[in-house]
Amino acid sequence: MATTATAPGTKLWGGGKSPFNVEYGKLMMWYFLMSDAFTFGAFLISYGTIRFSTNGWPDPNEVFRSFPFAPEGVHAPLVFVSIMTFILIISSVTMVLAVHAGHNMDKKGVVKNLILTIIGGLAFLSCQAWEWTHLHHEGAWWGANPFLNHDGTASSTNFTNYFFTITGFHGFHVFSGVIINIVMLIMTLTDQFEKRGHYLMIEKAGLYWHFVDLVWVFVFTCFYLI
Amino acid sequence: MEHTAEHQEHSGGGTKEIVKVTIILTVLTIVELILGFWMISIPLERASFRLAVKGTIVILMLAKAFYIVAYFMHLKHEIKNMIMTIVVPLALFVWFIIAFLYDGNSFRHLRNTYDPHYKEQSTIKIEKKEHSSETKQEGAKPNDAKDGKQEEKKATH
Amino acid sequence: MSNEAVFQAPAAAGTHHDAHGDHHGEHHHHETFITKYVFSQDHKMIAKQFLITGMVWAVLGGLMSVLFRLQIGYPDANFPWLQDLLGKWWAEGGKITPQAYYALVTTHGTVLVFFVLTAGLSGTFANFLIPLQVGARDMASPFMNMLSYWFFFTASVVMLSSIFVENGPFSGGWTAYPPLSALGDASPGSKTGMDLWLISMALFVVSSLLGGLNYIATVLNMRTKGMSMTRLPLTIWALFFTAVLGVLSFPVLFSGFILLIFDRNFGTSFYLSDIFVNGVGALPNEGGSAILYQHLFWFLGHPEVYIILLPAMGMVSEILSVNSRKPIFGYMAMIGSLFAIAILAFLVWAHHMFVTGLNPFLGSIFVLLTLLIAVPSAIKVFNWITTLWRGNIRFTPAMLFAIGFVSLFISGGLTGIWLGNSALDIHLHDTYFVIAHFHIVMGVASMFGMFAGIYHWFPKMYGRYLNNNLGYIHFWITIAGAYMIFWPMHYEGLAGMPRRYYDYSVWESFKQFADLNRFISTVAMIVFSVQILFLVNFFYSIFKGRKVTTQNPWGANTLEWTTPIHPGHGNWVGEIPEVYRWAYDYGKDGKEFIPQTKPIGDDESHH
Repeated sequence: MATTATAPGTKLWGGGKSPFNVEYGKLMMWYFLMSDAFTFGAFLISYGTIRFSTNGWPDPNEVFRSFPFAPEGVHAPLVFVSIMTFILIISSVTMVLAVHAGHNMDKKGVVKNLILTIIGGLAFLSCQAWEWTHLHHEGAWWGANPFLNHDGTASSTNFTNYFFTITGFHGFHVFSGVIINIVMLIMTLTDQFEKRGHYLMIEKAGLYWHFVDLVWVFVFTCFYLI
Repeated sequence: MEHTAEHQEHSGGGTKEIVKVTIILTVLTIVELILGFWMISIPLERASFRLAVKGTIVILMLAKAFYIVAYFMHLKHEIKNMIMTIVVPLALFVWFIIAFLYDGNSFRHLRNTYDPHYKEQSTIKIEKKEHSSETKQEGAKPNDAKDGKQEEKKATH
Repeated sequence: MSNEAVFQAPAAAGTHHDAHGDHHGEHHHHETFITKYVFSQDHKMIAKQFLITGMVWAVLGGLMSVLFRLQIGYPDANFPWLQDLLGKWWAEGGKITPQAYYALVTTHGTVLVFFVLTAGLSGTFANFLIPLQVGARDMASPFMNMLSYWFFFTASVVMLSSIFVENGPFSGGWTAYPPLSALGDASPGSKTGMDLWLISMALFVVSSLLGGLNYIATVLNMRTKGMSMTRLPLTIWALFFTAVLGVLSFPVLFSGFILLIFDRNFGTSFYLSDIFVNGVGALPNEGGSAILYQHLFWFLGHPEVYIILLPAMGMVSEILSVNSRKPIFGYMAMIGSLFAIAILAFLVWAHHMFVTGLNPFLGSIFVLLTLLIAVPSAIKVFNWITTLWRGNIRFTPAMLFAIGFVSLFISGGLTGIWLGNSALDIHLHDTYFVIAHFHIVMGVASMFGMFAGIYHWFPKMYGRYLNNNLGYIHFWITIAGAYMIFWPMHYEGLAGMPRRYYDYSVWESFKQFADLNRFISTVAMIVFSVQILFLVNFFYSIFKGRKVTTQNPWGANTLEWTTPIHPGHGNWVGEIPEVYRWAYDYGKDGKEFIPQTKPIGDDESHH
């Protein structure tokens, strides 16, 4: 630390070292996430564009009003999705704690928090699976939209088209995030990071996981709230 | 944060900060949900008011995004130049969003103007069992004067 | 566990990073044929793989253009041998069939834009030059770099296979606008051919992202000691911005393609509305917008032309300076204009859509932003010309191609000012004027940049020279031919001759151009055969060319010429050299050139 951290700022860009004090893997992960942000951005902006070019749009509070195990016809808008949102936020918190524990070389903490994160991810995926199944039973799918517009007129199928495509793509990201976290867990349990002397991989997996959470913030707002 | 000369890894606050950010995110989400519930009761005719609420929700969304990126993803504690390399390209989204949505809106005007069938289709109401019928009347009237006000309203649905 | 850990992390990460440790020097593990030539992780070998795959595609793409030029130039003639060669689907009775014509035009565009001028150009030279010129032993992640090539290779195989499917390859134009691309019933090529096209392009996007992330991380993180960003050669700056453009714009294309795949296969209507297909009837799709696809496509499509052009610009800057024996004029202005072009590239996409139903007011803003590109472009042209000014010019083939690039960039760029105006575009859109414009400024100019790069860095790649005389023949016929092919197209376009028509001789208005079209087709064939000559030169010289005997044959300052003539994996024997100055100290203090590795002397003047 003494050698490399001397006079930071002066020679950051001078070559022979990372100008950001960041190893290349983390840098690549950041820029990958940036490009992925453009993928999701393009999806959500397309959704907005189509919504702007369509007369009328379904009311999300009518569409997403159900709750598992609740009697048919129950009217509980926003409740289920807020639970999903909190699940993802909490799993993000446990991921931060795992990264934090990794910094302190606290293997037990890493294992504990990674397991919690994986459970959170699986819980979110289950919620999504239930919601998709439910909507499918109501007749919604790609190319099929049983819901009416807010004003009672017929709705185009693009409401469900975008809903399933974008939440599906997000769900795919959650799924790969869970897989990555499971790999991280196995690597932690087999002491791979202890041998390396650092838990930087956990940090990169964490970045990915937070990004998934970040995307959900946007998807949640765009589809369920406005 | 005074972290430059310090070692990098602890510069990001620690558990206390995580708890703080978690609380902030929870509060923001709850406020969003309250606004969402409130909006159910705002009739469709009050379009600009609904738009204002939606705008507030979007601002809250951006605040949440900021907290996740800055603290959970630790970006706030990176070197400033690195923050710039990530934040500056995101500025491209501004024109990306404006141009796409503006053109989407324009496409709807075109269709409503030159495609009478399309326009007519979007005014026929379908009988529905649900009780949302109180918001039925104004939606998309066969008001052939393509006045901007009505269009704006539709855009916000 | 602090900074040190951060810095040693790559070394400890165990994959390959001993190559970066300074003590190792040239680094021999046991290499088999497979690891050396096929699944190589050496950036130089990957570069050559990209180059040769790109060349194969260039030949195929060029051959396709010759075939459809045959139809345009000789609409009434029959060439029976064509049917023997290509089969009935392509050339029934010795005449290119309409479906084959559109398939050829589409594949020519796709292949040249993506496989030759994106993968073949920036894939080759980013891989080859970035580690060598920034002073790194390899890319940040050699493994991802290898994957990048193999994704490209797979994309190539899929695209190639689409040529052989029953209904032919996709034939709706390289932009793949829906509904033609979204409906299998719309045209023969929209069936399996389009599926394969989409798969191939999706793989290509993955390849380009893997490569781009690597290039960015390498340029930022792996520069050798003393190599500050403002000491980088302009090639690296250009390749860096190219990678940034790719990383930010390809994902948008990817999203657009995913929506298109859903429209094709899962009954959605993202891009479809109110469609009646002959023989099928009215489609149920409703509510989509074909303009949305165009927005998404051109959000990549416009940056894409700079992805193609910027590497050529960077290499030309370097080659002009080296062979004029003069420092590049306005180094910082060159970086600034590259940066400005990179930013503007993202803001102007809708100028490809002025007449497709884009809102006219929005179009006017796009006009303004588009015309702004003239400013950085003019800065670059000015700086290239002033670099040449009073230079001690060595007319090597590389230098000739670099000068040719500047010439083409000017003449093609000027017509861009016309096309950037939405009002003029009402007349000029979809005519041969557009064809002439983008072929000169983007296609041929970038090819010239690529040729310049190949002639210049061939000695570094293979330790031998290309044959100079063949190089001169190649250059003069190509530049004369390029102008003879594309210059007349401006007149045809101004007269209203539309692009993508199968047979112009049936149109009274365009009959006057029959001779001109035949002339263009003839020149196209000559130019194509000269490219074959270049290929002969290339492959002959790999094995039999004149051997390079000095480390630094061009007397250049950059780091790649400090490596051994045949650098191994790891590039430098012993330590990576340290850098003390920028890359353009030519003719300073009476010295012809001062390499970047030479420390600044006490008596040296400031530049």
